[in-house]
Amino acid sequence: MKRKKLVVMLLVGSMAASMFTGCSKDATQTSNTTSSNNGESIKEFTAFFAVPGSEINDDNEIQQKIAEITGAKVKETWLTGQTAEEAVGTLIAGGEYPDFIDGSSGTPQLYEAGALVALDEYLDNYPNIKDYFTEQEWEQLRQEDGHIYWIPQFSNSYEKLMETDHNDEAFWIQTRVLKWAGYPEITTMDQYFDLIERYNEANPTMEDGMTNIQYTILCDDWRYFCLENAPLFLDGYANDGSCIVDPDTKKVIDYNTTPTAKEYFEKLNTEFQKGVVDPESFTQTYDEYIAKLSTGRVLGMIDQYWDFHFTVNDALKQQGLEDQGCNYVPLPITIKEGVQNRWHTSGDTLNVGAGLAITTSCKDVEGALQFVNDILGEEVATLRNWGVKDVDYLVDEDGVFYRTDDMRTQSSNTAYKASHACAYSYFPNWGGMSHDGINAATPALQPNEFLDSMPDNVQECLEAYNCKTFVEMLGQQDIPGPWFPIYTFAGTLTTATEGGVAWNKMSDIKHEYLPKVVMATDFESAWSDYMEVYEECNPEAFLSEVQTEVDRRIENAKKWE
Amino acid sequence: MSTSVKVKEKREKINWKEVKKQKVLLIWSAVFVIYGTIFCYLPLFGWLMAFQNYKPKDGFIHSTFVGMAKFKQLFLDDGFIRVIRNTLAMGVINLVSTFVMAIVFAILLNEVKSRGGKKMVQTISYLPHFLSWIIVTCILHDALSSTGIINELLMKFHVLEDPLNFFAYPKYFWWIVAFANVWKETGWNAIIYLSAITAIDTTLYEAAAIDGAGRWGRIKYITLPGIKPTIMILLLMNVGNVLNAGFEVQYLLGNGLVQSVSQTIDIYVLKWGISQADYSIGTAAGIFKSIVSIILIVIANQMAKRAGEERLF
Repeated sequence: MKRKKLVVMLLVGSMAASMFTGCSKDATQTSNTTSSNNGESIKEFTAFFAVPGSEINDDNEIQQKIAEITGAKVKETWLTGQTAEEAVGTLIAGGEYPDFIDGSSGTPQLYEAGALVALDEYLDNYPNIKDYFTEQEWEQLRQEDGHIYWIPQFSNSYEKLMETDHNDEAFWIQTRVLKWAGYPEITTMDQYFDLIERYNEANPTMEDGMTNIQYTILCDDWRYFCLENAPLFLDGYANDGSCIVDPDTKKVIDYNTTPTAKEYFEKLNTEFQKGVVDPESFTQTYDEYIAKLSTGRVLGMIDQYWDFHFTVNDALKQQGLEDQGCNYVPLPITIKEGVQNRWHTSGDTLNVGAGLAITTSCKDVEGALQFVNDILGEEVATLRNWGVKDVDYLVDEDGVFYRTDDMRTQSSNTAYKASHACAYSYFPNWGGMSHDGINAATPALQPNEFLDSMPDNVQECLEAYNCKTFVEMLGQQDIPGPWFPIYTFAGTLTTATEGGVAWNKMSDIKHEYLPKVVMATDFESAWSDYMEVYEECNPEAFLSEVQTEVDRRIENAKKWE
Repeated sequence: MSTSVKVKEKREKINWKEVKKQKVLLIWSAVFVIYGTIFCYLPLFGWLMAFQNYKPKDGFIHSTFVGMAKFKQLFLDDGFIRVIRNTLAMGVINLVSTFVMAIVFAILLNEVKSRGGKKMVQTISYLPHFLSWIIVTCILHDALSSTGIINELLMKFHVLEDPLNFFAYPKYFWWIVAFANVWKETGWNAIIYLSAITAIDTTLYEAAAIDGAGRWGRIKYITLPGIKPTIMILLLMNVGNVLNAGFEVQYLLGNGLVQSVSQTIDIYVLKWGISQADYSIGTAAGIFKSIVSIILIVIANQMAKRAGEERLF
């Protein structure tokens, strides 16, 4: 009997104990150190990036090499199936963070919650990080309290700008459509849809008999920019994102209500009624959309290049659909002829709204910064961007890097990427030239490599238009002014201000009404319904806050002239 | 009647001997009391947030107290009124459909005489319960897409000329959600009724058969009354869950076009409480939901009491 009681007591005790440890145990283990074979310890950090990405394997080869050089490695996790704000909000509610974080559009919430470590006092000890921005740029990164909390990762070209990709928004079209028509000049929406319709009439199916989808619109949650912000570009303005800033008058214009906006949605409406626009457009998820593009059936769409090319181009390659001309090229489209397009803005655009930050949960801030500093060095940068010499790239007698076709195919293989490549892509990384002064920072920026790595159908198309890069397809345009891009401000708005509330409501309304407008049988009445509820959101409050910020940025820039 | 109840409730005096005798039981219940306190009652302190303008940086101590302002803001928001409507509508539709379907299914299954067939049907029917919503919504999305099986069938039988995009029209959304719930949960929910049916004395059925009751008669006069207490208890418990109309399924199936009918209170809390980092408004919405649920349960319980049926408390 006594023994039985003892057992019960033990059970109860251990249950209670496990309950309490359950409460106090750290959910995220930070700054673990494990010993490597040679006795040196390798620091392990954790990172969360509130953007979609794919995790790499734990025994990734290049990650291991970088760890041997820098003495640290970072376990990266990415956004899955949520918005950035939801993911960040959940972290804040839990109160525990990974060591590194890029909150993306949730960054202001992290700052508000006091989750980030001020970095400015550390910066002088880390020369590579310090050099990454100019004094003026560091100044721009200071928040209201005068401190710097995050380091934008992408905006810096070393030595000079190397522009090949158009890693931005555009009207995309499959090369087979252009080829069929003999590579015509396409500069307006009317021409674009006309061409797609004529092509589809002549070739309604693919080689395997699947019917083409003429034009699809991705509209899944935050990715609805594919539907929403084209009026800005169609009027020939650069990508300020949330509104138009007129470069002459420096005044903010709402692109949702311009005559061009109406014309654009009316055109989409006409095409929808004709059956040209994919009827599933507004209900498809991002995954379904990517799957659709990967079959090669979709003739054209608006999208950001980064939103589809990683997955879609690789899928087309693996399925041999390149030979059918299923790859996409951008077209310089505006609302009417004579409007200068500004789909591509040259130069580095500093996104002050988000970047790599270190959180208050990080126990070794100096070690973390040392890692960021180290991976900006030449040796690690080459490993991150190019890979391992003789495995991922070759070097000719002049020191120029190049790749064989096999290497290119291999580098697009998902399994290989997970087990071998480690780009640390959301850590600061130089663009432009490599530190060796010979090569571009990444294969995609190396002019020869860019063209050679393009599938034959794209090369042929570029040649027909007498272009070497996507950028040349659209033409280069300079940054319009010191406020650019103003979306970095709109991204920081929270519901704490009137403008922020308006911004939220506007986006809510647009999510619902823009698809309705496109699908409506009576466009005019649908449009006036939309305009009515849109005005109720009080967009003026938002616009005036943006105007204030534009003025502030212009004033600030004057200090540095 | 009332006197006999009183006699039953007359308690024995608690003395040390009694306590000692039940020591093990007491310790076990203490564990659950502790568990309940930590995981159910302590978190209630978080309700404070609803009356503050809560900022994670300032914590409970330094956040400014705003009284009922957050609740006022909540009820002045058309969006919140809309999500209450959606939640109630979907909650009621789900409750009625899953509830009725489970009972019907259990009774039908009980009438199956082949043991093997019965087992197989039962196993297959409750398997969907173990699928996560993300998988169920993917299947639904696929089946209801314009090239999906439903549209193919409807077109084959000439019900439709062109494929219909079910997710583009607000009028279908609640029913799609209800269908998903019924498909996923019917088999699982039926288990409890099936076990209640097996508890019914088989001699009753024999007697009824001799008295000339057919199959329908036996269901109506023996099976249904036999499981009535189970039905009442489950109904009461589910009424309290009406406002838990779901989160995943609406979140995963919704899109911009149907957002005005698809968003539930939980999605509202996620959107404003978590995404916009306004934890106070999220908490206020959560409190509202809890209070309404409690009221619903109490009302349902009172009604059951009046009708002289089984009840929770």
